[in-house]
Amino acid sequence: MTITAAFILYTLTGLGFITYLFLRTDTFLFGLRTLYCLCIAVHGLSFSILWQASGQLPVATPTEALNMLILFSSLAFIPFIFKRKTAILAAFFLPAASIVLAFIAPSLQAGSEVLSGPHRTWYVLHTLSVIAGEAFFVVAAIASTVYLIHERIIRKGSIHLKLSHLPPLTMLDGILYGSLALGFFSITTGMILGGLWASAEGIAFSSIAPKVLAGALLWAVFGLSLHQRFAIGWKGRRTAIITLIGFVLMVLLFVGINAAFPESHGIRLI
Amino acid sequence: MERICCISINHRTAPVDIRERIRVGHEELREILDKDSEAFALNTCNRTEVYWTGLDVVEVYRLIERLSGCEEDMLRGASEFLAGKESIRHLFMVASGLDSLVLGETQILGQMKDAYREALAAGTTDTILNKALHRAFRAAKRIRTETGIGSYPVSVASQAVDLAEHIFGEIGGNTVLVVGAGDMAGIAAKRLRDRGAKHLRIVNRTHATACMLADELGGIAVPFENLAEELVTGDIVITSTGSVRPIITRDMVAAAMKLRKNRPIIIIDIAVPRDVEEAAGKCYNCYLYDIDALKAIVDRHFAHRESEAKKAVSIIEEESAKFGAWLESLSARVTIRDLFALMDAHIADQLSGQSFPEGEKELLEQHLRASYKRLLHRPISFLKGHPGARYIEYVRRVFLLDEDYTDRHKG
Repeated sequence: MTITAAFILYTLTGLGFITYLFLRTDTFLFGLRTLYCLCIAVHGLSFSILWQASGQLPVATPTEALNMLILFSSLAFIPFIFKRKTAILAAFFLPAASIVLAFIAPSLQAGSEVLSGPHRTWYVLHTLSVIAGEAFFVVAAIASTVYLIHERIIRKGSIHLKLSHLPPLTMLDGILYGSLALGFFSITTGMILGGLWASAEGIAFSSIAPKVLAGALLWAVFGLSLHQRFAIGWKGRRTAIITLIGFVLMVLLFVGINAAFPESHGIRLI
Repeated sequence: MERICCISINHRTAPVDIRERIRVGHEELREILDKDSEAFALNTCNRTEVYWTGLDVVEVYRLIERLSGCEEDMLRGASEFLAGKESIRHLFMVASGLDSLVLGETQILGQMKDAYREALAAGTTDTILNKALHRAFRAAKRIRTETGIGSYPVSVASQAVDLAEHIFGEIGGNTVLVVGAGDMAGIAAKRLRDRGAKHLRIVNRTHATACMLADELGGIAVPFENLAEELVTGDIVITSTGSVRPIITRDMVAAAMKLRKNRPIIIIDIAVPRDVEEAAGKCYNCYLYDIDALKAIVDRHFAHRESEAKKAVSIIEEESAKFGAWLESLSARVTIRDLFALMDAHIADQLSGQSFPEGEKELLEQHLRASYKRLLHRPISFLKGHPGARYIEYVRRVFLLDEDYTDRHKG
């Protein structure tokens, strides 16, 4: 029930922020910020209900992980929502979040699958860390999308468009860099924690290979993007394109691996 | 009711060779004013306007003829005469930049305020024109805030600032490199400085000219030989030289971008022939705009300004109607009527919500009415003896007869 309320709020707030692209008033923005906080509160409540009902952090299934990813991403966007110039990023994030919520909400049920194993805390920490990293990549992907749109508007000289009131390119590049760096740090931590968990549980590499390889591939893509930025000064468009490629890869790997190898992580589900 | 009249010699009515001859000063206007008349003159490069009340149009034309040396027929042919509502509307249109050559430009408002200060110093305006000008400034402000007419820059410098803000955010922290020290470059650099650019560097073939412009703008003059190095630090480059060959090549920009670690750079090339090789725009994170690209943006902005101007006209209609109503109230007859209406409202207010024994209410009302009439006798006699706008305005202010003053009183 609360997840449905969260979905409705995400959709409404998303529509509100899209309207804000064309109707820029402070009062309207104040209302939208309030709605955004309400979204997170209701989504957080739904998450805690799910947690309480299942007796464990709800990250055992792909849908639960996605649910948490949306919550984490919403939290990661808060600093930008409260900054006037970057608040408009929500117009790009919230509709995507609503669509994902619409897909996962029906299958979010408490206690559908239970984590077990003596070292499950490692697993939970690993998952939290990876999802936090992915949330930062969501921010980076949104910033990249907005960067590419805004850059196109500037290059074509269409700066008279209402849509052109997007954050300045250097600001978007800063957000992109910051979220990539934080995401990369979280993913790296998550991979180390995952390795510790697998080793403590005595899990064979072969059973977790697809996800480990997918994770390593993503890690390499984002690592490359950061490296190129420092080494040869890749800023702006190129970083945005690599980030978007990495993000699409992340989505495809998440969907593909979970569909093809549902228990590939070797976690015992009762 | 006093009528406001206006003679306007502007870019629509007169060619530049006539416009440049006509200038009307407030000191000269004072010569033809008497105690009941007022006048205000506005002189810009595109227009000369004279507004007045209580004068004969022939008198004003004679003054302009005398000051400009133009013949009467020529002057009448090159000007338009407006009276009453039309002149008020015209004043508001001028203040808002809706009658300007560059639709919606804001410079005119500043010029009008300067002219008003001169008029106040010379004592040529009084109650009516003071109010009209304040209303005109107010209408201009409303148009600026309630319509998007000012959101579409149409000058090269404004374009440069706008583009820079889209890329860098605030331009205060960015370095502006001006290549060339001619008029175009100077104007653009000045506008950029006015819009917040703090670090100005000027490069010119003749270093002495660059030094002069740098002194004028508070920037730094740099030798022309250092142009390639300057591209490394300059974030906004405005170039306008008379060179027949490009002075900024693709290789120069590519080398600078490498040293800049691909920090974005905007190059605005307003020179014809172009100062920057077209291929330079292909360099990563280099945003190059030549005069044609800028003109295309300006054309689109003009189209937007025209559509916003339609909204602005409705504000003009509203504000000029309000002013017209106020002007109408400036007659002794209307003011006396308003005073009696105020008296009736007060009496009704005092008697409302109270119960009185049979017949006492009427008695009390008669008593109150007689008292109020005695009280109003003096201002009414004063109005009849002094029917001028200034005295009527005094009475209206004292009794808060106008919405504006009532609002202020409440506030």
